Amino acid sequence: MTLKKLFLPLLLLLCQTLLAQQDAVVQLKEVIITDTQLHNFSGTQSVQQLNDSVINKNAASLTSLLNYNSVIYFKENGLGMVSSPSFRGTTAQQTAVIWNGININSQLNGQTDFNTVTTRDFNSVTVRAGGGSVIYGSSAIGGSIHLDNRVAFGQRFTNELRVNYGSFNTQGYHYSTNIASDKFSASVSVTRNSSDNDYDYANGGTNLNGQYYNTSLNAVVAYKVDEKNRLTFYSYLFDGERHFSLIFPSEVKTKYRDSNTRNMLEWAGLYGKFTSKFKAAFLQEQYKYYQNIESPGFTYGRVESLIAKYDLLFKAGEKFKINTVFDFMQNKGFGSDIINKTRHIGGASILATHNLTDRFMYEAGLRKEVTSNYESPLLYSAGIKYKATGFYTLKLNTSKNFRIPTFNDLYWMDGGNADLMPETSWQAELGNAFTFGNLNFTLTGYYIKLNDMLRWVPTGSVWRPMNTDKVTTSGAELLVAYKKAFGRHNFEVNGTYGYTDSKDETTNKQLIYVPHHKATGGVSYGFNKFSAYAQLLYNGEVFTRSDNDSRYNIESYTTANAGVAYNFGKTNTYTLGAQVLNFANKDYVSVDSRPLPGRNYNMYLTIKF
Amino acid sequence: MNFKKYLIAFAASAVLVSCNSDDDNGTKVENQAFDNGTFVLNEGNSNVSSASVTFIGDNSTVQQDIYNTVNPGKPGLGSYLQSIFFTDDLTFIISGSANKVTVVNRHTFEFVANVDTNFSSPRYGAVVNGKAYITNYADYNTGDDDFLTVINLTDFTTSKIQLNNWSEKITEENGKLYIFNGYYGSGTSVTVFNPANNTVEKVIELNDSPNSFDEEDGILYVLGDSKLSKINLSNNTIAGTVTLPEALLYSKNLTIEDDKIYFTNDTSVYTMGVNATTLPVTPLFSYVSTSAYGGMYGFNVEDDKIYVAEGGDFASNSQVFTFSLTGSLLGAYNVGVGPNGFYFN
Repeated sequence: MTLKKLFLPLLLLLCQTLLAQQDAVVQLKEVIITDTQLHNFSGTQSVQQLNDSVINKNAASLTSLLNYNSVIYFKENGLGMVSSPSFRGTTAQQTAVIWNGININSQLNGQTDFNTVTTRDFNSVTVRAGGGSVIYGSSAIGGSIHLDNRVAFGQRFTNELRVNYGSFNTQGYHYSTNIASDKFSASVSVTRNSSDNDYDYANGGTNLNGQYYNTSLNAVVAYKVDEKNRLTFYSYLFDGERHFSLIFPSEVKTKYRDSNTRNMLEWAGLYGKFTSKFKAAFLQEQYKYYQNIESPGFTYGRVESLIAKYDLLFKAGEKFKINTVFDFMQNKGFGSDIINKTRHIGGASILATHNLTDRFMYEAGLRKEVTSNYESPLLYSAGIKYKATGFYTLKLNTSKNFRIPTFNDLYWMDGGNADLMPETSWQAELGNAFTFGNLNFTLTGYYIKLNDMLRWVPTGSVWRPMNTDKVTTSGAELLVAYKKAFGRHNFEVNGTYGYTDSKDETTNKQLIYVPHHKATGGVSYGFNKFSAYAQLLYNGEVFTRSDNDSRYNIESYTTANAGVAYNFGKTNTYTLGAQVLNFANKDYVSVDSRPLPGRNYNMYLTIKF
Repeated sequence: MNFKKYLIAFAASAVLVSCNSDDDNGTKVENQAFDNGTFVLNEGNSNVSSASVTFIGDNSTVQQDIYNTVNPGKPGLGSYLQSIFFTDDLTFIISGSANKVTVVNRHTFEFVANVDTNFSSPRYGAVVNGKAYITNYADYNTGDDDFLTVINLTDFTTSKIQLNNWSEKITEENGKLYIFNGYYGSGTSVTVFNPANNTVEKVIELNDSPNSFDEEDGILYVLGDSKLSKINLSNNTIAGTVTLPEALLYSKNLTIEDDKIYFTNDTSVYTMGVNATTLPVTPLFSYVSTSAYGGMYGFNVEDDKIYVAEGGDFASNSQVFTFSLTGSLLGAYNVGVGPNGFYFN
């Protein structure tokens, strides 16, 4: 089984090595990202894009990337274990993960485990803060994370191989190839990560039963049928097994298997002012939970989702765009603990953006979903952007967003509640973007009022989900970026800071595992073929009790990483890098009783050919 | 408790206390600090720091989380704390999820040993002749794999004895272990186990799933889902039964104090004479629980006081109450998460 899985990337590697002997003409002509709304209809919100160069500096999981480079707070049950984000003080179910324009949050538990996404498979990871339900549907309340692959036509043939090895026998192998002509383009990448993850705790003890591995395959194949029509196929397969680490060595060992497949075919037609896209996607998610690794028994859940989407964009010049989207989704859920059900959701959106003057633009959107399971609210979004001076831009946005009940909420055998309503939020934000030469910074203040928050509460003899809580969140975010080149020296500084006040309206207490303060910082320096960087993460104190009993708070912590890299070879095709993670050897936890590793090391070699 | 047992227990603890004295690092707690009062076991949730022991002194002073306060840096108690049992000098705290038993000094709560071998979902314990016997469920779906963990109290080594029958509460009477085979409606008997030769002497069939018991004057009173059974300990036969009326089916928490039986049904407390042949119709008192799931989560009677634990929401600290024997509220105390039992010192 494992051997077979390993064999495939190896085979790919062999063929490509042979082909690589030919002259590779690298000529980028046209770059396409299918999630066009991210570009077209996000003008009045805060959008932060992380490209390959940033992705490559960070560990492979989406948790590491975003923890050190964004305002999103992560609650991680030990390194590589279950990782839940809190974006703008919201829950993990209120952050949407969008893969090439499609929402891939689990239909079972409503969230994405950020340790089950390998960032190396994507060309860019974009953090879009604030409401996005009008475009991306359920869960886009705190914000959305976009995993995108680029399609590029034009003669091109490139290969990249990356191998990394580090402490706790952590291994990573990544191979990607891109082959393209004027009519055809294919990008394929294969990634394998594994770790014994048996790090020592600062106060004695070892992280037991924390080992994991995962393999992913990502492919994008595009074909220009003619000048007007283009077919693109996206595929993302992920298969991983994680053991859940123990707090006490005598606990029963458990493990968890994730197996997800995502496939999408897109037919794009470019007809003058109209761009029409028809997308058909088939997604399958499955988990298996082994309550005792010594015995073969497991519980499982699986959802098969079929999505059809028709997206028509009308452009009246560059100034005015209007976009209608009709979509239909069928989810079929199966599992050992849920009632097998099929759910249908139909939706329609209309989005418009207008650059009234060179300085002033506005955008607006509406979306309505229809399903037999619950009443779906009318969702909206509206915003303006005004470039007041050369260095200052003002953004204003308001939206209504939602999070639908999951299969577990509705159909869990022991406690599921079929009478749930979606959580709804009303939110507003004010963004200030400043540019002074090489320095950019944005300061955004926001307010979110969430109603009908779903929470599992004891009712009679069982726990059931109910639309109980109301939460009010207000906060501020600061993003800073500075770039400077002096001759052959390149210097870059990035920073983020988030202040979050997220309160349950009934108790007026801060939500658990939402820090008031979080900050990140990064400095990088490049000289010729040499580069060095350091990054820092500060997480403020968090409450772990709903009554905010400070005795049980998790202390604030600061951790920092540093790395160096050197390119060698005549055409800079080899990069050798080394990293020290948590170099100050800070002893800290993100979740109660779940220590994270002390100082540890990682080395990597990247070959481009 | 005979003299010999006392000696062994004393010897065991003396050895252990002396072994452990090296670990003391100046944070000496006043001796006998916990001799006069009640331990409340807070089972906690999946979060390890939520499991704790609260001490309520006879003078009504309350100390939270005494284990971690007395023993910083020592192994944690685990979570889902199931129960406590004692020797004269030692306290054993069982964690169901961590598969371990933490042993502390009964008087000072100072850490003595961490026993974590040969457990699989441990439940309750009892002590006979220098050995502790702890019941284990193993797989919750079957009684066929249930077993006893035996801890040798001289060196805290462990061994296993397979019982292959639902095994829940356990008590020692006359040198024998009585193991109650009831588990949420499964298992309908009491096993008499002889620890001298590790054999099951008898399985007393009750035709009813036992949930609680107490002993008085040679009779073991066993409360089941549908009746009260009285076992004569001199010959291990059923001396009599009293059927529960419809309204009192699934009563729980039987305990005897001064020749009176106390038990609970939902959030009501009932009492009757030990020899009564009919059950009371009206409760002694009821209390209002704000937790539909955790009402009357723990119950006991001692020294003319009735102790009631409110399970709460199992996510934040909860409360326990004391009532007089006539049912008037005497006191309310804040405790930890999910209080499930009272143990008197």
